[in-house]
Amino acid sequence: MVNDETFFAWLDGELDAHEAASVEAEVAAAPRLSAMAAEHRAMQAKLKGAFDTVIESPVPQHLAASVTAQPQAQVIDFAKAKIRRQGAWPSAAQWSAMAATLAVGVLIGTLAPQARQVSPVEVQGGKIYAASALNEALSKQLASAPGGDVRIGLTFRDQSGAVCRSFADASSSGLACREGNGWRVRGLFAAPEGLGGNYRMAAGMDPNLAALVDSSMAGEPFDAAQEKAARDKGWR
Amino acid sequence: MDRFESFEDGLTALLPRLRRFAHTLSRNPADADDLTQATIERALRSQAQWEARTRLDSWLYRIMRNLWIDTVRSRGRREDLHSPVEEAERIGEDPRSAIEASIDLKKAMSAMQRLPEEQREVVALILIEGFGYRECSEILGLPIGTVSSRLVRGRTALLQMMGNPDGE
Repeated sequence: MVNDETFFAWLDGELDAHEAASVEAEVAAAPRLSAMAAEHRAMQAKLKGAFDTVIESPVPQHLAASVTAQPQAQVIDFAKAKIRRQGAWPSAAQWSAMAATLAVGVLIGTLAPQARQVSPVEVQGGKIYAASALNEALSKQLASAPGGDVRIGLTFRDQSGAVCRSFADASSSGLACREGNGWRVRGLFAAPEGLGGNYRMAAGMDPNLAALVDSSMAGEPFDAAQEKAARDKGWR
Repeated sequence: MDRFESFEDGLTALLPRLRRFAHTLSRNPADADDLTQATIERALRSQAQWEARTRLDSWLYRIMRNLWIDTVRSRGRREDLHSPVEEAERIGEDPRSAIEASIDLKKAMSAMQRLPEEQREVVALILIEGFGYRECSEILGLPIGTVSSRLVRGRTALLQMMGNPDGE
């Protein structure tokens, strides 16, 4: 006797040819199963038909229009940067300049030894990790600390349970999550034009970063005690 | 900027399907369009996270589903006054397009609202949106066995509701 899961997997075309033939034969020989298959097919057709009226009706203008609404700040697109890796990029730049010119994902691998400033990020196995001062701040600094060039914003766990922290410096902000013993950079955003040195996370997070944080966070951000406890446990 | 434009084109092309999915999850058409709007906005803000070689539709469905879960959770905290059934019965009060408030859609939304969230999303993705079990499990982040057993329970409950006039 075929079980419910297998019966419906057959009905939904999820079985391979061999299994399907076996269930098919069983259903054909059992009037109760044949009737059940017919009932469920009819129910699905009725249900889908009802919701298909939504597809057939025009998309409201305000929804169609919102697709073309431009985001407020420029997003640093790591995927695009990767594609352009073969192109000519400046050999060295300060972190702020990198963020502003979208070159972040690329420069890390090609930083010239004479670079005056150590790169805040590095590539390992195609992934971008925090390095040097950024790594230091993410690993040690609490949001309440006055800190140096890097300020820490929110600390929270993402859906996979990893600890993530948002950060900012004078001209960019981003999100990094704990992976192994490092911090993998999930996003890095240039501050909007003109905010430069006055940009402060407390005054409002970059909307792109806010969206990234929003879509990553599971539960609530850590309070000061939770943040400190997480640091003491090595961000596990 | 070809990729950027194709992202928008892709999003526009998928809007009718996203609206349908929103209607399968939501209590009424107004909520469904609010959910669609929120999904568009989050997709635009998060498009750097979309990997071009992966399916845009699955990615957008995942965003919509996660936003929906957020909405359900925050609504659960704010208002415990209306049961899903009571909410579903208010669909007919929606003053908008006759198609959206059509009796079949109203009944179908009402029946879907009677399912627990966890069964509704599986039924919606597989029986209405046409995803395979594996695609569904990837969108929801669930094992296939869980998808399969929720689907059995959900469609069995729906058959009873839709086949029985008292259940509609």
